[in-house]
Amino acid sequence: MLDRLIYLASMRDYNTGLYYHDGLAARFSQEVACEALADCHREVFRQLVACSLENVVCQMEAYMKSTHTSPDEFLAAWRKLEPYRVAVPVEADPLSAQLLFSTFKIALAVLEARLNPRSRESDASPLRSPGR
Amino acid sequence: MAQPSPVFLAKAGLVIQLILFLSIGVLLFLSLIFLVWRSPRAEDSSAALVEARQALVALQTGLLPMELVGRIFAREDLQYVRSQAPRSVCAMFLSERKSVALAWAGQVRKQMLNLMRFHLGSARFYARLSFRTELALAIQFAGLLLACRALQLVLYVGGPYAAPRIVGATAATAAQVCRISERSLAFLNSAGLGALPGRPSGASL
Repeated sequence: MLDRLIYLASMRDYNTGLYYHDGLAARFSQEVACEALADCHREVFRQLVACSLENVVCQMEAYMKSTHTSPDEFLAAWRKLEPYRVAVPVEADPLSAQLLFSTFKIALAVLEARLNPRSRESDASPLRSPGR
Repeated sequence: MAQPSPVFLAKAGLVIQLILFLSIGVLLFLSLIFLVWRSPRAEDSSAALVEARQALVALQTGLLPMELVGRIFAREDLQYVRSQAPRSVCAMFLSERKSVALAWAGQVRKQMLNLMRFHLGSARFYARLSFRTELALAIQFAGLLLACRALQLVLYVGGPYAAPRIVGATAATAAQVCRISERSLAFLNSAGLGALPGRPSGASL
């Protein structure tokens, strides 16, 4: 779902908020294509908001692998640029968007901790079993 | 000392009566002006309607759906972070969820206040709710606003997982109030209003 959200957001013109897809526009019409893509975008956003943190972490990891960039670069770029902020639909409920941004932020931190296990060991949570 | 004549006393009595009746007349006239001034004007009334409708839509579609409330206060996310990430990430997670939870409680309270203003001001002009329903609604509004304040305080002090019962009760009561408010605003849900141009699908106003 994360990859679909990014893909659908990339089809939107930032200046007009309208969605463009040449193939769909040629087959149906520009207006119909735009409305259909906007509907898909809203639905994917709604589904992603309802996902658990564990699910979002898995999706982010899969998306990171699919981009073929190094994990460090990917995580640094996503942490600094926060590209997910422009990936939400225009009519998205502000609280849902806030929750999703927050979930992405935590997911990035979890992935980073996974990639750098040394920092994790030095900052061990007291709630984990001592054997880990 | 000369006593006032009976004719003078009778005339004085008439003047006192005249002053009394004039005062009552002025008071009645001022009351009439006040009542005319207080009656809702068309633009105020339509603004209140739009605000109430927006509050209702925001509550029903944005703030109260169980999947969103459940996700904000989901304990499984905390357990996952505790098992997968260091303490610093756990602290970040709790801080993030706390701010989302506080925003949720604040938004519910704000939209409830908007709905309450509509019911206090102009709902009776549009919907004929029984006295019992109005009384129940008033009690629910008061309890809900109090619960939201209490929830904000508890979340602020104890974090996002401090009061799951208050969260559940607040969401359930708010949903109930929304159902009653929907009846007051039901006359806006005509097919003609839904088809106005430039309006997002699914929203009547």
